[in-house]
Amino acid sequence: MQQNINSNSLESYLEQFTTDIATITSQPVFQEIYEIYDLISQSMRTYLVSQGFLEFKPPLIGPVTDPGTRGAKQVAIDYYGKEYKFMSSGILYKQLLSISRKMAGKEGKIFFFADNLRLEPLETANTDRHLAEFIQVDLEIVDADHHQAMDVAEGLVSYLHQEMKKYEAKLKPIWEFFEPLSSQRGLRKRESLPEIVGAFKRYTHAEAVDLLQTYIGENPDVVKEIQQRFGVKASRLSPKSEIPWEYEWLLSHIHDEPFFIYDYPKGARGFYDRESPQQPGILMDFDLIFPHGYGEAISGAAREFEVSKVIPRMKESGESLQKYRWYLEFLKKHGQPTAGFGIGLERAVRYFCGLPSIFLALPYPRVPGVFSA
Amino acid sequence: MYPYKQIIDRARNGRTAVYPKASDSSRLSIMGAKITGEFKRFPTMEDILIVPPLFTPQRLEKSIDLLVREPVFFDVELAGKLGGFHVSMPLVQSSMGSPDVWNLLAPYAAKACALEGIIYGIGENVAATWGYETRKVKSQPCLKERILAYFENFHGKGGVVIQQNEEDAQSELWNRLYSDPDLTQFFEDGFIAFEIKGGQGAKAGMGGERYIDRKTALELKDTYYIHPDPEMVEQERYERHSAPDIFTEEILRNRIIKMKNDYPNAKIWLKVGPYRDLARVLEIAGDTGVDCLSIDGKEGGTGMSPSVAMSHVGLPILACIALISEQKKKYPRTDVIISGRMMSGADLVKAMALGMNGIAMGRPFLISGYSFRFAERYLASELYRKKLIAKIAMKIRKPNEQSVQLIRNFVETIRIEAQLLTAGLGKYDLKKLSKEDLATVSEQIATMLDIPSIYSQKEMFVKPLIVA
Repeated sequence: MQQNINSNSLESYLEQFTTDIATITSQPVFQEIYEIYDLISQSMRTYLVSQGFLEFKPPLIGPVTDPGTRGAKQVAIDYYGKEYKFMSSGILYKQLLSISRKMAGKEGKIFFFADNLRLEPLETANTDRHLAEFIQVDLEIVDADHHQAMDVAEGLVSYLHQEMKKYEAKLKPIWEFFEPLSSQRGLRKRESLPEIVGAFKRYTHAEAVDLLQTYIGENPDVVKEIQQRFGVKASRLSPKSEIPWEYEWLLSHIHDEPFFIYDYPKGARGFYDRESPQQPGILMDFDLIFPHGYGEAISGAAREFEVSKVIPRMKESGESLQKYRWYLEFLKKHGQPTAGFGIGLERAVRYFCGLPSIFLALPYPRVPGVFSA
Repeated sequence: MYPYKQIIDRARNGRTAVYPKASDSSRLSIMGAKITGEFKRFPTMEDILIVPPLFTPQRLEKSIDLLVREPVFFDVELAGKLGGFHVSMPLVQSSMGSPDVWNLLAPYAAKACALEGIIYGIGENVAATWGYETRKVKSQPCLKERILAYFENFHGKGGVVIQQNEEDAQSELWNRLYSDPDLTQFFEDGFIAFEIKGGQGAKAGMGGERYIDRKTALELKDTYYIHPDPEMVEQERYERHSAPDIFTEEILRNRIIKMKNDYPNAKIWLKVGPYRDLARVLEIAGDTGVDCLSIDGKEGGTGMSPSVAMSHVGLPILACIALISEQKKKYPRTDVIISGRMMSGADLVKAMALGMNGIAMGRPFLISGYSFRFAERYLASELYRKKLIAKIAMKIRKPNEQSVQLIRNFVETIRIEAQLLTAGLGKYDLKKLSKEDLATVSEQIATMLDIPSIYSQKEMFVKPLIVA
């Protein structure tokens, strides 16, 4: 591919997105990425519709959105004198819509292509997979638990692989173009997309931590390497909390196919992720992790739906109950089990295109703390 | 009555206030120790005495260290770690919130605390009332002015502790701070703590109360409980109530765990009132790795509390200390500080000797910052308790750079007194203080805190070797 750009670092690419967007986005390699972006969007829609999901237009703003996690800040607007929030994720509305479909005697399966806005803490700028503005393909299923939601995720991601395989000739030059930077950012060199046959591996959180600890035991040098790569001082790996970014990267790096981690310990997730009635302290939730170092693609869970469970969970997050008035009233009258997940569209584009950082997937990327046009 | 005069004297006169003035005949101390006092309903820190020995092997050790001279009080080490921060002294300026009088002074207090290397607390409702980084009211500083005033004068010792209550949670204060590029470095370097507020001493178990004007009442009617309803009743002044936060053991435990996950670079503090289940609170704080548990005794100050609460509700600080002393030993990683009528170096020394890790105080910082000339006369009036007096003081003169010096003077008196007393006990590091350094006038307190009672026949401090 003929390119008029000469960038040997992510910083200089980012710089170009803040100075001359037309020049950088008109480069052939970027136009190829944008085409893949569109193909992935279409494939996701096609698959979900084929599985009986109905697409809704998600709300842009509302009196409340689901709380940001890991320190991300929501964006408020003045809505005729009242404070409304820009959606950081449409979970509460997905629950509402899937249940209302069911109440109407239809199949309770819905999805959004949802614009999400999260003012992430600046430390996320180093993960290569966080943007402040991004699209999440967000779905919800009535009468399902997290295992059934994982089945749908597996189907969707397998389908995407199958579809993208058809475009390998288009993808290869992108992989090659970014290969030097991608390997610098800890991504494995790719000759072809993984051939998906059969089911993805499913690890419980405890098994994933065990796997990591075993791997570290056998490769002690890796600890120093990831601490350097992610600029963290000490090991933060614990069976009692979320897997830190640097270890999630490691886990992703040593896998050849997408895989699930499920049953996370309670603590980091939102109040809507259901706590297992059989195993208190364990959430009925999951992540799908892309292989080769690309990291988390999907987060999902079965939802809490009883107010007697939701209210204490909200208080655990230090939330104000008043703020969630419509949601609590809705759950009290109509709450029933649902499960769902969201897949980051730009994360999928990054993964299939082999991009060193997620911001390269968009013509006007919102990198936390970077002021592009 | 709160001894405001002592604070003013300290703020105005700094280190000379550590000693009595010959000209001041109102000071009983000029004629020796004060042995009568006002009527008290329950024992306080004043009922504990500091009891030095003659034999001081640590003084000998220190002189060997120093080699060429005998140790004196300024050799006493006060610096150490507290609640995850390095501090010059284990004294904390309590988290004080949005009352206008305090808010005006708060950035100056921040500067004073930073220069002194002590921890500075920011209470609830500040961003909601006065703005996050732009002023909602021209004359009133916003939240970030407090924080930046601290860090602009910071020398590596101390830290900033920030609360978020339910109303702040509506606008996600902590998330905003945590994602604020101006503060990222301070979080990464470990200089900021988030403090969960589980009540305060002057109104344990109760929510927040304030009077607000009509305009504010209309603005806040969706966020708070306003009485009467400003849309139905037109009057000048309204009651603003906020609900107490809801905790169960499970909620507290999980909230702490969630905070540690959400804000890995922030220290986690927990402030509670003088509750009967404090021992359990400390267990949960210790298990979940809270950096500092701050206990406000019933003697604690307040912007506004129901009088009935101040008279009848909650445990005095000595009872709180006794309640947690067993658990305290089990959780050495969670520091415990106490507040409520703390105002001198003696309070700091006693708290440390009782096994606490430091003390916090609020009112002395407020009074010190306003201790300009003539303030005293107003502070003496009956109006004091309603905080209106401070408003009058504010009219006399607004806080300014002089307030920084007044507060620093006050802090210096605490430092000197703590050093004098510790050296007097033959110890040269605040952390070496222990229960052997204390005694009490009350047998009940003696039993409760496991320290000697000075009038008890049974108790001997140090037994003679040869008993006849």
